[in-house]
Amino acid sequence: MEVSSLPISASHRGKLISAGYSSLSSLSSVSPSKLAQDLKISENEGHRKNTLRVDISPPLQSGIPFGVPVPPSPFGCFRLPSLVPSGRPTRLRIVGQPFSPAITRAQTAWDILHEEESSICITTSCSDLDEILGGGIRCKEVTEIGGVPGIGKTQLGIQLAVNVQIPADYGGLGGKAIYIDTEGSFMVERASQIAEACAEDMLEYNSLLRKDSQACRVDKPPKAFMDNIFYFRICTYTEQIAVVNYLEKFINEHKDIKIVIIDSITFHFRQEFEDMALRTRLLSGMALKLMKLAKKFNLAVVLLNQVTTKYNEGSFQLTLALGDSWAHASTNRSYCTGMAMRGMHISTNHPPCDQRQLHMQ
Amino acid sequence: MKPEDLLRHPLPTQTPKLTLGCPILDRFLGGGIPCDTITEIFAESGTGKTQLSLQLLLAAQLPISRGGLSASSLYLHSEFPFPSRRLHQLSFYRPHLPQNPLDRIFVEPLHSTDHLLDVLPRLDFLVPKLNIKLIVIDSIAALFRGEYENTPLELKRRSGVFFKISSKLKFLAREFGLAVVLTNQVVDVMGSSNNLRIGNSMSLCSSGRTVCAALGLSWANCVNMRLFMWREEEKVGMSEEERLGEGDGSFQRLQTRRFIRVVFAPHLPDSSCEFVIRREGILGVS
Repeated sequence: MEVSSLPISASHRGKLISAGYSSLSSLSSVSPSKLAQDLKISENEGHRKNTLRVDISPPLQSGIPFGVPVPPSPFGCFRLPSLVPSGRPTRLRIVGQPFSPAITRAQTAWDILHEEESSICITTSCSDLDEILGGGIRCKEVTEIGGVPGIGKTQLGIQLAVNVQIPADYGGLGGKAIYIDTEGSFMVERASQIAEACAEDMLEYNSLLRKDSQACRVDKPPKAFMDNIFYFRICTYTEQIAVVNYLEKFINEHKDIKIVIIDSITFHFRQEFEDMALRTRLLSGMALKLMKLAKKFNLAVVLLNQVTTKYNEGSFQLTLALGDSWAHASTNRSYCTGMAMRGMHISTNHPPCDQRQLHMQ
Repeated sequence: MKPEDLLRHPLPTQTPKLTLGCPILDRFLGGGIPCDTITEIFAESGTGKTQLSLQLLLAAQLPISRGGLSASSLYLHSEFPFPSRRLHQLSFYRPHLPQNPLDRIFVEPLHSTDHLLDVLPRLDFLVPKLNIKLIVIDSIAALFRGEYENTPLELKRRSGVFFKISSKLKFLAREFGLAVVLTNQVVDVMGSSNNLRIGNSMSLCSSGRTVCAALGLSWANCVNMRLFMWREEEKVGMSEEERLGEGDGSFQRLQTRRFIRVVFAPHLPDSSCEFVIRREGILGVS
């Protein structure tokens, strides 16, 4: 709906249009003070001024109707002011108008925080690592984990592919996994072992904490775990890009996929590329697609990366591969180094932890 | 190639494996050398890498019921000469081999990394034509030593070549279900280089020296599985007098003991196993 067709006085309409608000979608996302500033009218309420009352009801999804008083939140709930008109209040209640899709998905920051706090994370089966990651691997986020060879990245990937399948009764997501293997490190025997251990854990949990043996007796044989892992084996970078592009269609057909693990993301890109600009374009395209997948389907994306040495001020340092431009691709980056035979030192840029040391088995 | 073709669902229950020819070593490796992966064995010279490679070349011809791959093998060697006599000797002690086992072992000498990069694309049609299921490269380190200088630019170029070789080998391994075994050399670890731990989070000792695998961190990212063989000298057979400290100490027998251990593998825990080299080949000791 256009502003020009709103039942408001011509002068106000003119002000709105000259300030640049030509459609309702632009109005609904603006803050009250900004609107007042742009229109050069006061936002005082209850004043006998030549003011305008505009109430625009919110997109249906956010669930907070602007008409009712909303407690002020630290993130600033957006509520258009009730600019009292002089004389006739022209309240515009536009309910149920089809907004453009971009706006119907707009959420307030309060909503987003609430959603984040209540979302279930995928556990890594290591409580210390879960703590560092803020509860586990989160959905709607891209997590990158890197480390030296032999530190346990593939093990972690397989563990996550199994743990995502833990049913909701046991505190998990009950979803399926996609495992994209670029190096050939996925061994079915190891995955079976991990699946068996998970099934045993669930049985133990069942017997210890849920004494009432009702219908919540979930018997998941290890084979059921293996059937829920969709395994792609790729051998060139073109195959890698093709599979990442194909993922959207695949996930549309299998709606209960909750995690995509790529092990490892960098292997095929570390060959000599004649055209480095092409490599950067391909990588950033891939990163964007993965982020979009995570947000759209509400699943977790885990990228396993390698480390390389960087010559920095006269000494060599270990750093995650693919360089600085790749560093912006993921939400969280965790970097594991080996200090002792079974110890891992993890530094991550996921708030609020900086560096934690933990031992993993 | 369509993305749907790259999906393997449902997954197989087991990976095919190649036996080492000894049940103790097979148990140590969880069945043997797995197919569709790259296994690297690194050790000091004289420890038994080539012996083990020759043993694998013969084992690949065993029928699948006996743990073999029922196929031919390819041996690419960069260290000369090729040990044909030892191979011939070993073939006598292997029962259950088909007739003329040496006819099913193909040997190609390698002179440089460029030569290897030339040979690899030819394998696309050689491998199915000759029914090859095992490729052994002995050794990969010898190809690179002496070709690249020690400047950051050259090292970067070298690691690009690592990934190219490894990527091609993995492609062949997946395409034809091959087992690929590479041997590597060792370098000494100087002092405590804590700021540059190249993937070996434990210190490995061979003959009293602290060593790690050659070719560095980039190469370590290229292999799936790494095995380390080492030997130790041990004083044995001390007589009663020497034990009491009364002997003159001039007679001391030294015995070499050899071990193999898993440095990293996706499906194996850290473990080690002792072995001996006999006429019949390498045998594990429990």
